[in-house]
Amino acid sequence: MTANTENGNDSPMTTTITRRGFVKIGGALFVSLYVPGNFPLASAAEGQTSLDPTLLASWLEIRSDNTIVMRTGRTETGTGMSAYYAQAIAEELDVRPETVSLILGDTDRTPDGGYSAGFLTGMSNVRKVAAYTHRALLGLAATQLAVPVAGLSVTDGIVSGGGKNISYGKLVEGQHLELKIPVEGKQAKPDPTGWVGMTSLDGFTVTGDPPMKAVSEFKVIGTSYPVPSIADKVAGKTRWSCDVTLPGMLHARMVRPATLGSTLVSVGKLDQKQFPAAEVVTKGNLVAVVSPNEWEAISAARVVATGTKWTDWQGLLGSENLTKMLREYQWGAPAESKGNADEVKAALAGGGKTISASYEQPYVRHAPIGPFVAVADVRNDGSATVWTHSAQSQGLRARLAFVLGVPVEKVVVRWLEHSGQYGRTTLGGDGAEGDAVILSQLTGKPVRVQWTMQEDMAWSSVSPGWVSDVQGAFDANGHLTAVHTALYSPHMFDPRPLGALLAGMPCATSKPGNWIATEWHYEKIQRLEEVYGMPNLAAESANGGLRGNIMRTPGQRQQNFALEGLINEAAAAAKADPVQFRIAHTTDQRLIDILNSTAKAAGWETRPSPHRGARKTGTGAMTGRGVCIMVRSNAYWVGVAEVAVIPATGKVQVTKFTIGAECGKIINPRQLDRCMKSGVAMGLSEALKEEVTFDKQKVTSTNWSRYQILTMEEMPEIKVVQVSRDDKGFGGGSEAANAIVPPAVAAAIFDATGVQPRRIPLTPAYVSRLLKG
Amino acid sequence: MTSELTLSVNGAKHQVSVAPETPLLFVLRNELKLTGPHLGCGMAQCGACAVLLDGEEVRTCITPVSFAMGKQIITIEGLPAVWAEKKGLSQADAAKTLHPIQQAWIDEQVPQCGYCQSGMIIAAANLLARNPNPTVVQIKDAFTNTPPSPHLCRCGTYAAIIDAVQRAAKAMNA
Repeated sequence: MTANTENGNDSPMTTTITRRGFVKIGGALFVSLYVPGNFPLASAAEGQTSLDPTLLASWLEIRSDNTIVMRTGRTETGTGMSAYYAQAIAEELDVRPETVSLILGDTDRTPDGGYSAGFLTGMSNVRKVAAYTHRALLGLAATQLAVPVAGLSVTDGIVSGGGKNISYGKLVEGQHLELKIPVEGKQAKPDPTGWVGMTSLDGFTVTGDPPMKAVSEFKVIGTSYPVPSIADKVAGKTRWSCDVTLPGMLHARMVRPATLGSTLVSVGKLDQKQFPAAEVVTKGNLVAVVSPNEWEAISAARVVATGTKWTDWQGLLGSENLTKMLREYQWGAPAESKGNADEVKAALAGGGKTISASYEQPYVRHAPIGPFVAVADVRNDGSATVWTHSAQSQGLRARLAFVLGVPVEKVVVRWLEHSGQYGRTTLGGDGAEGDAVILSQLTGKPVRVQWTMQEDMAWSSVSPGWVSDVQGAFDANGHLTAVHTALYSPHMFDPRPLGALLAGMPCATSKPGNWIATEWHYEKIQRLEEVYGMPNLAAESANGGLRGNIMRTPGQRQQNFALEGLINEAAAAAKADPVQFRIAHTTDQRLIDILNSTAKAAGWETRPSPHRGARKTGTGAMTGRGVCIMVRSNAYWVGVAEVAVIPATGKVQVTKFTIGAECGKIINPRQLDRCMKSGVAMGLSEALKEEVTFDKQKVTSTNWSRYQILTMEEMPEIKVVQVSRDDKGFGGGSEAANAIVPPAVAAAIFDATGVQPRRIPLTPAYVSRLLKG
Repeated sequence: MTSELTLSVNGAKHQVSVAPETPLLFVLRNELKLTGPHLGCGMAQCGACAVLLDGEEVRTCITPVSFAMGKQIITIEGLPAVWAEKKGLSQADAAKTLHPIQQAWIDEQVPQCGYCQSGMIIAAANLLARNPNPTVVQIKDAFTNTPPSPHLCRCGTYAAIIDAVQRAAKAMNA
């Protein structure tokens, strides 16, 4: 292809060639400093700790072998973003994606920061940088080859024109390109009075309007380019964040109270004869055992924990009382409301037929397979280097700087792959990083803190429970004319570093709040959505209870459960087919199209729910099907669940799940297929099994038999429908599949039994109680 | 108290000086730098730390290193050599080879975060040694009901794993 690279006067960039050659990081555009496969051992004590996002050199490097290195502060969280980024960069630069490598998440080696969850913004950044670079490279080639830009074309990084050609690598060898990247935004920094205790978590956004390829010209986007990190992961070659070792490093295991409410009375004894190299380290309520030998640290910490005494705090209320407590809380005004309050209230009070229901969801947990781990090296000069798998490196950097009381420039966060995060570090909250920097500061040595799974399940932040009250008003034809949803939840954005909380060090606190996440797609229905937030559960007592951090598909997963539940109940009340009922309340053709194609793939039979033979008793399996939809980040989702319920036992088996997604132009069909199926697995897990339990003192669901997640045996047949469109841009395809599962499964149980579940998880105990009631 | 122990890992003998009750996982990772097996639950509930011990899957997070003495330990790092030996490949070819299970994991694009997948691949190796042509039901059963616990994946890659086990079976039977 050719592209217009004429620099207009209003262009944000200037192309000048200099011969500065090899310049140190930040200045060396085209000379590689990247050594793949080695641990980046540079520390915050040695040199530059951030990159200027307005310099092209901070983002992109073209090596003399014609390969590309792109740097972004966003990270791979397991959904395949590293493939999508490479595809977008390759597309704009006319190179093969295999030639693109990425440096992700290191705060000193990437320019932009930002949420790893914000894939669309992240991709837009690297795509625009690639497009700006492409234009500049064509300008260089025009000079070098003495051929006008309009006469040039690029294939696989080779520029051709006028019978001559030159590779990007040759074109730029030993040269430096002064190219300004226009950006807006600010670096993340602590803001103790702000909403989540931080500002600028979205980092820098690349602005301007460089010429980019039209969808019809795409050669790489839309193909199933393999996720690059997989080959090393299956060969055991990946260097994970748990693999970091430093000279002189100590291993630490933490000794914890039951919850934040308990405080330290006395530390258990450490027998130096038994554990000669181990040492107890304490600061406030932060207690750890360190040793150069990991097994000694583990063994000694167990002994110390047995002898350590804490105050007996009983400030939690017990998970079985959660709904009651949420009902009794004085909520005050909504944190946010949307829609036409007057019309909705008038419709509900108008004397026509109405419907109302309340829905409940428990606390759930991100619960990755690998517990938190971090290594920190804090030096006497106040510098700190931290190795992490956080999904928000710059945010974490700023938080840790605040904890240590040093400028952010003193802190470097290096990112490595590890177990999934599912949203738990999106706001820069810590796992083991707070512990690690404090222990490194106290011991004067690099410290690796490895949490145990039980510790992670007790101490990592949790995704709060919800109660939702929903009402709808019908017209004479059985159409919904108005819907009111009121959504109530404890605090779900609390990224205060745990280590700092326990050690009594500074934490930029966050404010309680809540927001409306649903994107309204039933525009024929007037709506009033109100959302209410309260502080952390038990925050009023002592030092605070459970820290909330909402998980995957945040907000919509919770809010859509209630909203789509009501739509299903309303369809049943109107004796309408649930698919047709939805179509009747929208004019959004994208939604109608994906609903129809998914229903067709599922073999959907048009009829109202419940099924004619629905029964809520007996030992035979009753079957049913249910549907739900969701619109999120320019993506349209449909889920159709088929279940078999045994009323006598309450056992629910999901036998088949059909999932449809239309997310604009599909970037990578195979990885989208993988994300859709795995999202269904997580959604089924949430629908059927997951609940964080706690008594008055502590979290009690602290292992995999108490916090159960879906197993392979419980996987249904999954059918995937993908629709790619060239005319609607890109949508978020990787994350959201989990959220469409619970409402569809609940609707299928209603179809099978005639009883609508309004709570998850749909455990045998709950379902059998529900059916008997 | 530390002891001098000899371990046979991925076809090579190693001397280690560790406390004999140390879980095998920490010896593999910290002493031998075999970081394929991962620490998950630490109580044999998830499978992330699995290796083959004389061909049988064990959870190294609860297996004392002394229990592994005199037995053949295979981690995912050692699977290519197992396959190369079985196929009688030359050393040069062996160096370029992955075990068909690992290749299937790539071809089916299984890992998301990938943290549990080392254990999943070991479970697949164990299953395919017992049953070279498992059905979907048998795969689900093996990954769920083989003691001591189900192999758990939080990213939810189970469907991809089923596809990959079947692909690997085909390649290994070819």
